[in-house]
Amino acid sequence: MNRITKHSQTLILILFALYALAPVYLVLLASMRSEADLFDGPLSLPWPINTSNYLRVWSESGFSTFFFNSLKISVAVTVLILLTAPLAGYAFAKMQFRGREPLFALFLAGLVVPAPSVIVALYGNLQFLGVIDTQIGVILPQAALLMPFSVFMMRTVMQEVPDELIEASTMDGASPFYGFLTVVVPLARPGLMSLTLIVFLFSWQEYLLPLVVLQTESLKTITVGAASLQGRYGVDYGGIAAAGLIAFAPLVVLFLAMQRSFVRGLSAGAVK
Amino acid sequence: MSTRHAYLFLLPALLLYAAFVVVPTLQVFAYSFFSWDNGIAQDFVGLANYARLGSDRVFWVALGHNAIWVVLTLAFPLLAGLLLAAILADRTPRTIQIVSAIYFIPRTIPLVVAGIIWGWIYNPLFGLLNYGLDIVGLGQLAGAWLAEENTALLSLNVVGAWTFFGFCVVIYLGAIQSIDPSLYEAAEVDGAPWWRKFRDITVPLLNNSTLFLGLYAAIEAMRFFDLIWVTTQGGPGYATEVLTTHVYKTFFLVGDFGYASVLSVILLAIVLSLSAIAFRLLRAK
Amino acid sequence: MKHINLSAPLALLIATQATGQETVVVTQWDQFAQSGISAAGPAMDELIATCQPALNGADVLRTIAPSIGIRDSYRLAVSAGKTPDLAYTWPAASVLSGYARVGALAPLDAYFEQYGWDHVNDFYRGRNSYGGSIYGLPMEQDLMGVYYNKDLFAENGLEVPTTYAEFEAMVETLKDEGIIPVAFGNRDRWPATNTFSLILGLTAGRDLEEHVLFGDEPWTNPAFVQAAQTFQDWAEAGYFPRGFNGVGYDEANALFLSGRAAMTITGTWVLQDMVRGAEFDLGVFMLPPIADDVAPGTMWGEGSQWQLSASATPAVRDAAAAYLNCLVSTESRQVWVQKGHTVPIGTTPEELAAWGADPVVQEFFSGGLATPEANFYDLHTTLPESMTQVLYPELQRLVGGDITADEFTATLQAAWETADANGERWIP
Repeated sequence: MNRITKHSQTLILILFALYALAPVYLVLLASMRSEADLFDGPLSLPWPINTSNYLRVWSESGFSTFFFNSLKISVAVTVLILLTAPLAGYAFAKMQFRGREPLFALFLAGLVVPAPSVIVALYGNLQFLGVIDTQIGVILPQAALLMPFSVFMMRTVMQEVPDELIEASTMDGASPFYGFLTVVVPLARPGLMSLTLIVFLFSWQEYLLPLVVLQTESLKTITVGAASLQGRYGVDYGGIAAAGLIAFAPLVVLFLAMQRSFVRGLSAGAVK
Repeated sequence: MSTRHAYLFLLPALLLYAAFVVVPTLQVFAYSFFSWDNGIAQDFVGLANYARLGSDRVFWVALGHNAIWVVLTLAFPLLAGLLLAAILADRTPRTIQIVSAIYFIPRTIPLVVAGIIWGWIYNPLFGLLNYGLDIVGLGQLAGAWLAEENTALLSLNVVGAWTFFGFCVVIYLGAIQSIDPSLYEAAEVDGAPWWRKFRDITVPLLNNSTLFLGLYAAIEAMRFFDLIWVTTQGGPGYATEVLTTHVYKTFFLVGDFGYASVLSVILLAIVLSLSAIAFRLLRAK
Repeated sequence: MKHINLSAPLALLIATQATGQETVVVTQWDQFAQSGISAAGPAMDELIATCQPALNGADVLRTIAPSIGIRDSYRLAVSAGKTPDLAYTWPAASVLSGYARVGALAPLDAYFEQYGWDHVNDFYRGRNSYGGSIYGLPMEQDLMGVYYNKDLFAENGLEVPTTYAEFEAMVETLKDEGIIPVAFGNRDRWPATNTFSLILGLTAGRDLEEHVLFGDEPWTNPAFVQAAQTFQDWAEAGYFPRGFNGVGYDEANALFLSGRAAMTITGTWVLQDMVRGAEFDLGVFMLPPIADDVAPGTMWGEGSQWQLSASATPAVRDAAAAYLNCLVSTESRQVWVQKGHTVPIGTTPEELAAWGADPVVQEFFSGGLATPEANFYDLHTTLPESMTQVLYPELQRLVGGDITADEFTATLQAAWETADANGERWIP
């Protein structure tokens, strides 16, 4: 490849890197501006760096509460998925039983069901169960909505486990569940790790369900809280920026730390 | 292994899924056949609610926007992802890891937060875009972006693309890295330029990934809600109205359960059809 | 902490079971936030404590929800039959009558009689009635007016306009000076309904409004078209900031408070924000009538109303009514004014002066309450929901210049006819 081509290609890479990062950088800048006149121009970099917005948003605006709510809910959803999806994925991958294909198709159909289209009935059901304005009212539907993807991914992962090893474990008379725990799970650990990360990511990002189910301010998640800050605090852009950063910084850090695991999980469906 | 064991393994996942996804879906379907008053079911009216679709201008506008969104997403982030992945594949592993991470970061940001950030960039009064245009002397191009019917949907799509192209890069990279290098040897010997190798060898070999990403984009284009709700809520006018926002407004703001159910059913029918097509096409390969 | 994590039915269960044990619990939903710029939460807390004795031993369990959210939440609660005993939200007119029609609300006539809530005048009573009974007790009062920057006016030799022609001339002068005449941001979609309500009332007058809202006069009548045209003309003539359909309500207020815009046309609900945020001399005037044959007046809204659930037991209802009576008493009104920064219905300008309300508050209410015979309707809280959701986008298109005034009123007429056919029209 000649030098011109190589350099112009590098330029393209850089341009898109700017496209990806510029808004993130802007939020970082905005979050460090203190009480600045927001009509002054968006690029002025304050010096020294000001963290007062973060502190204020964290304590006064209750963002610490929102953060821990999101954490609680996302962890709960992830745990619930981990307790249910691998078992189902394994059953679809390695077990023979009547109705296997139709049941799997049922799960697959749910891959595309968007929350807005079931919310009409889901909301009424949640009201009936008395879980509106509770965190469990968010955790259960979220886990259910993420189930198709999780089961699909787990089936793909479990299919890789060599049959001989499974047969070996059950030949000793062990129950299938024991075989699952002692043989399959350790082998599937990278896949389980990917699932954990992805489910956590999706759950943290969820907006519609927490928005409509949670009414009490102290229960809200960070996505709902960040959006509602816009209305409540008017033009406190430093605060809103700080809030936004608190909302996504953990995800970015998590992603960067576990990049390979994430990528493997997301590609699970694509390349097969 | 016995069937009973299999069902036991399946049961927890199936219960959760059935209770909170399958059952509500069936309920929505049933609700659409009744008339409602203030959220309380009245009489069975058959297809009467569905008849409203014909005259509901907002529905058709919204559907059109969903379709436009699909096309835009296929045109820009998908192609960009393909090109970027091909370029990246030639670089060092370290570069690949860092750059693809950078591209993927927008995907980790909740769409709600992305909407807030980009809402600022687009803000007519103090946003970065207009500010930047002013600085480089292109001030007359400055506009109200999210506030004008002509530019609103497109401006939002730039945000959507921002979150999606990194995902495309990652998928394509994985696929490219599994291409047998010997396939390029003949072209190398001929002295073919980079873009010719890209067009004639790389792209065709990535058809599977393109199909997957294309269908994924199409389905996502029907489902997305957060981004629009936190920025324009379907406005200005109906310029950014899509099926999901129409459902939300009809259900939560107007309180019209019957018609909201109809819209939900239509939305479900579309995404299920798309995914059935996807399933068939991907299986055939 | 006054927030409840229990769901409404559980609390209701406690309430109904408790009546046998003399400990009645009243579940209350309201929107008085504890924090934020003009939070009335602390005032509500204080009044709950003050009015506790009136409850005769009953307890109040509060859930606080944001103002927009509570309206939607309440609607969903009605559909599930799980409304809280007491709620302070803003359905009024069409939406309230919908709730009454399906039997979700308890009639309050007996309590109005018993406690003599005469401070609620006929206009407000009408808006909270259905089929001859009253279902809501409005508490706050909202008016619209024009906040203006006295310093900017003085600098440019401008006087408060007494006629519409003077208003137009004044705007031209401001434009020539490069000052944004009216700060306005309609990204949130509802601000335009208020502005339009004001223009409509000053162009068509209350009588014509009533002929449309309660009679057979169509929305496409000439005066309404003229009002729509006026609103569009304002936008085209540069009254508003650039890209206003993408500017938020709070951003527009910030624009005004920073001194970059000379006026903003909005209501008393942001009075405290304005008073606290203005770095200049702040004033308020009433917009003069736009059409020749219309009397001066302003838009009159009643903020939110207290509603009692039909599913509340008689003991709970009586306790709640006694508590409400305390909340709207003169003493409580003083607390609302001084600590809650809201002006309840029945408060006179004299009382405001006596209680040391801010001069701007007094100026606003003196001006707004001077014309009770001519004050007109707030579309936002009068129209049925289905129509409001049409009004929002259509107004954005109207002021954005994407449709004509005739098309606008025609669309509204069509939506109105549909709502009417569905039985959603409110008749007082």
